[in-house]
Amino acid sequence: MPEAAGVEYTKVAEIKGPLMVIDGITKASFDELVEIETAEGERRLGKVLEVGFGKAIVQVFEGTTGLTISGTKAKFLGKTMEMPVSQELLGRVFDGLGRPNDSLPDPIADKFLDVNGEPMNPERREYPTSFIQTGVSVIDGMLTLVRGQKLPIFSGSGMPHNILAAQIARQASVVGTKEDFAVVFAAIGVQYSEAQYFKRSLEESGALRRSVLFLNLADDPAIERIITPRVALTVAEYLAFDLGMHVLAILTDMTNYAEALREISAAREEVPGRKGYPGYLYTDLANNYERAGRIKGKNGSVTQVPILSMPADDITHPIPDLTGYITEGQIVLGRDLFRKGVYPPVNVLMSLSRLMKDGVGEGKTRSDHMEVGNQMYDAYSRAQEVRALAEIVGRAGLTGVDLKYLDAGDMFEQHFLKQAPDENRALDETLGRAWDVLSTLPEGELTKIKEKHVKQYYKGK
Amino acid sequence: MVAKGRIVWVSGPAVKADGMSTAKMYETVEVGESKLIGEVIRLTGDVAFIQVYESTSGLKPGEPVVGTGQPLSVLLGPGIIGKIYDGIQRPLDEIASKSGAFIGRGVVTTPVDLKKKYKFKPTAKKGDEVGPGSILGTVEETPLLTHSILVPPTHRGGKLTEIASEGDYDIEHVIATTEKGSEKVSLKMYHKWPVRKPRPYAERYDPTVPLVTGQRVIDTYFPIAKGGTGAIPGGFGTGKTVTLHQIAKWADSKVVVYIGCGERGNEMTEVLVEFPHLIDPRSGRPLMERTVLVANTSNMPVAAREASIYTGVTMAEYYRDMGFDVVLVADSTSRWAEALREMSGRLEEMPAEEGYPSYLASRLAEFYERAGRVRALGSPNRAGSVTLVGAVSPSGADFTEPVTTHTIRFIKTFWALDTRLAYSRHYPSINWMQSYSGYLEDVSKWWKENVTGEWYDLRAESYHVLQREDTLKEIVRLLGPEALPDEEKLVLEVARMVKIGILQQNSFDKVDTYCSPQKQVKLVKLMVKFYKEAQKALKAGAPLADIRAMPIIPSLLKAKFEIPEEQLNKLEDLDKQIDEQFRKVVSGEEVKVVA
Amino acid sequence: MSSNSALERTIDKVLSQKEAELISKIDSAYQESLNNLEASRGKLEAERTKIIESAKKQAENLKRQIVGSSRLAARNQELLMIENAVNDAFEEARKKLASSGGKDSYRTLLSSIVEDSVSSVGSGEVLVECNKNDAELVRKIIADLQKKNPKVQARLSDQPIDVIGGIRVKSADGTMTYDNTLDSRIERLKPLIRKNIAQMLRGEA
Repeated sequence: MPEAAGVEYTKVAEIKGPLMVIDGITKASFDELVEIETAEGERRLGKVLEVGFGKAIVQVFEGTTGLTISGTKAKFLGKTMEMPVSQELLGRVFDGLGRPNDSLPDPIADKFLDVNGEPMNPERREYPTSFIQTGVSVIDGMLTLVRGQKLPIFSGSGMPHNILAAQIARQASVVGTKEDFAVVFAAIGVQYSEAQYFKRSLEESGALRRSVLFLNLADDPAIERIITPRVALTVAEYLAFDLGMHVLAILTDMTNYAEALREISAAREEVPGRKGYPGYLYTDLANNYERAGRIKGKNGSVTQVPILSMPADDITHPIPDLTGYITEGQIVLGRDLFRKGVYPPVNVLMSLSRLMKDGVGEGKTRSDHMEVGNQMYDAYSRAQEVRALAEIVGRAGLTGVDLKYLDAGDMFEQHFLKQAPDENRALDETLGRAWDVLSTLPEGELTKIKEKHVKQYYKGK
Repeated sequence: MVAKGRIVWVSGPAVKADGMSTAKMYETVEVGESKLIGEVIRLTGDVAFIQVYESTSGLKPGEPVVGTGQPLSVLLGPGIIGKIYDGIQRPLDEIASKSGAFIGRGVVTTPVDLKKKYKFKPTAKKGDEVGPGSILGTVEETPLLTHSILVPPTHRGGKLTEIASEGDYDIEHVIATTEKGSEKVSLKMYHKWPVRKPRPYAERYDPTVPLVTGQRVIDTYFPIAKGGTGAIPGGFGTGKTVTLHQIAKWADSKVVVYIGCGERGNEMTEVLVEFPHLIDPRSGRPLMERTVLVANTSNMPVAAREASIYTGVTMAEYYRDMGFDVVLVADSTSRWAEALREMSGRLEEMPAEEGYPSYLASRLAEFYERAGRVRALGSPNRAGSVTLVGAVSPSGADFTEPVTTHTIRFIKTFWALDTRLAYSRHYPSINWMQSYSGYLEDVSKWWKENVTGEWYDLRAESYHVLQREDTLKEIVRLLGPEALPDEEKLVLEVARMVKIGILQQNSFDKVDTYCSPQKQVKLVKLMVKFYKEAQKALKAGAPLADIRAMPIIPSLLKAKFEIPEEQLNKLEDLDKQIDEQFRKVVSGEEVKVVA
Repeated sequence: MSSNSALERTIDKVLSQKEAELISKIDSAYQESLNNLEASRGKLEAERTKIIESAKKQAENLKRQIVGSSRLAARNQELLMIENAVNDAFEEARKKLASSGGKDSYRTLLSSIVEDSVSSVGSGEVLVECNKNDAELVRKIIADLQKKNPKVQARLSDQPIDVIGGIRVKSADGTMTYDNTLDSRIERLKPLIRKNIAQMLRGEA
């Protein structure tokens, strides 16, 4: 049953930034959903950020532009913000607040879920260990994604993060099963063309009917972005844990989300943390990112690939920094490789998948997988050192082994890393290419690989 | 009289209530109709500021607030080991059985199973004088841990008028009564203790015994002593959590308290999945039989994160008081500091650096001060220790931020994790030039008596190579390695070997994950020997290229994972091969690979 | 003579050298063109398979796209049809409710609505609004309420409102409104009832 009708108040005391202060409140609760009606009859949504006797601070999602002190009505709805969920959400497109955006009616809800979700009990989590083949060599070979992981892409302006994310969404498969991933896509303040690219990519691969899209575009209200990832993840959790589907949730761009958060914090005149972002940015981001995983005794999973652009390509900026502390690794795109024309331009040395160790190896992928991955890191890291050295002393100043590393580095980029956006490589091919790279090095250099694997796969002399 | 007030203001985890003039500072209160658990953190007139340990979504002004008269406390008794608690000692399995896979609100639980029966063996007898902290008897808490039943530290002493005979009792059963004058006290197998108050002890000892962690870079280069303090700061991706997990797994302590404070949910799950299957190398029993977890993950209510550190350290002190060595690992103290900052912000306190409250330093000091090796209260005489290891997550990997700089003032071992090392997959990414240990001299006696007298010198010699490499690296960066004389090129080569063969350790490799002190010393000794022999060979005119091409080098580098603990004699073979191969290098014979 | 023969010898030598050179050049050119031919055949073949494969891939993609899109379109058509049916059902319900004015059940409902609404807006004087038909009934209910609880200060507005039933309560200063009309109740219930209606339409319930 819907709760009591909700009382409507008209005593707006103050409007500042995205906030509205309402006086004369007798009945309002923290986090409560508020429906605002402008003098012209336009309806907007908001929620209670702070409430005391006689006074409530309401954050207006669609912004306060056009609101007036007199004539604005605020109705307190007696519940927190909810998203109607059902299987029929698949194939639908919604706006950033979860309202239909595809000229179709409101979804017929199986139930209504609080968009804030609840923290998953760590005791009930199932540890993620199932390998997801993305068909992208650098990810499968060295940054393995597993079901239930949260692995962000750290990118910069103009780099092909969306192409990579779309490729992952199209190609992701769990080896050995026919199960397809459902895709939940949340566009948070991105340009129309980017959202459209993603939608078309899903359409072309026939994946649109197992996808749910939430679009808050660059010219949509900024404060709405606070809600977009929440409604998207609420739907992802429902599809995964109520309907047993494997869900890939792609959130782009979380930097816009954090900026909306900063705007609210500034309007509340809170003491800022670093770079003006609120002190609770970490907790707030975690409340979104932690909505990934698996649950004991349930079939589905939520795998999260948030995308964020690093302001000025700076990985120590608070948004990538705090994200990296919460997520289980990161895929970092590098400007240098991008300029060189390498796709995907993944800077592997700065990238990492924390759950790889549990998703690969004997019985899961191949027994040499982890060692090969480690050795590839080692080799590429040496190659980069040698490259830097060669810039100073020239090739002539390098020793024989160093020269081999130089070649291995080039081969790594051209033969292993580089691939086409529609090229789907099986794991064996990926590992084969990795061994091609490693086999350009003398056998004695492979210090991270067990003897038996060297014997089995090494192709050099 | 317990306070009964009403909510007047709600903002996130902070709630103000009036009508609270009889409330006490740090008293636990029930907030709202759904009886959420909160704690009074400031009193002004009859208004109490309360931090609420559960989500306040839906809370309304006007709802009641009721005091409990008690400060935030933990229950201390058998049944704690093997559990996973939230920040205020609610067992997560019980919460799950009541509210499902997602954590609901207002769930009422008991910290331990009150009905479970334990076999009590009395060690004190009727008529004995007992005092605070005295042991009354023991129960087997897990096959790995004999739990001593203690007279509570607040007890005023007296004569035992009754003590239960050997038998099975649940922990609510009165197992002893004492009498002092007219005061009679009944004792059960548990007592409660307020988390913010350190448990008392009789006397403090100097920490002189190393905590052996099986991690080469820690034990050999930057050791920590039992009862000592250490911090491990590092940017994301530097392997903080993996290193802490390694300490929790392999440290030679009797009890491990692992606090996941504002960290990832899957990390706690990993411990829960892994520890029951991992076998303690010393006792042969599953590690979970000595471990307690406190999990307040990043998405759980922020106020309980603040409490989780105290909950953990109080349980650690309790096991210390039984005479055990306890390691407490807190991941991460930065998230705890952020929780302090958030509450402080909501209370509109005057902020200091980066918005942290001005009392951040004193709170950190108080926490690390709860470490130590002590003589416990009461009889019999026994020593126990609490070793505190805190992870720090500096924003932007910047060690000059407030939490790192304040932490450094209160700890003695500093393991600096280095983003650059992590990028090149050098794990553990403990930077050997930035890290330090204040316990080096203190623990060298233990190594001498228990492993070998050579440890201190071997460590110094191998460390010297690393130091020289550090200075040479600057020259290489400017001029290239060919600009160096052979002797110095050799230093670079040996430093590389020490880095790969000793400092790097693969936590995910079955053999390499744990390295005994004996193996550590032997590996270091081989490297030092190689260095000395190579220096001699160079002097005797052997070309450096031949030395670099020696087949013994890959064998030395792989020894850490190719040679398991039970085949350490194979290291003697490597020793012989070093002699053999250098003889050939010097005489100009071709060196054949020895299979 | 001798100088001549020496010259001839040199010329011969040069000639034979050139010849050999030429032959080897022709040879290598021939070899090269053979190789090229071989290579281009290989290349051509590879090219051919590539084209065929990419065409296959495209066809496959197209198929998937068409199948996917048409299934989706069919599903969306169904959603629209259900929505129309649901709306019809609501319209029907609205009509029925509007004509239920005189029934006892409505009276009971209305009196509980009034009580609930007046208390929701809180203490102080309140203004009650309703439609023309209900005015008498509501006036009576308010009077009963005041008999039970003399603290209630409610007054019936003389301006009727255009609703099918129920009431709206306002605080005297107009800053607070509590909408408890049947119209708004239907709107609130709609999302919940739609599921039942849709299930009935699909024959699931």
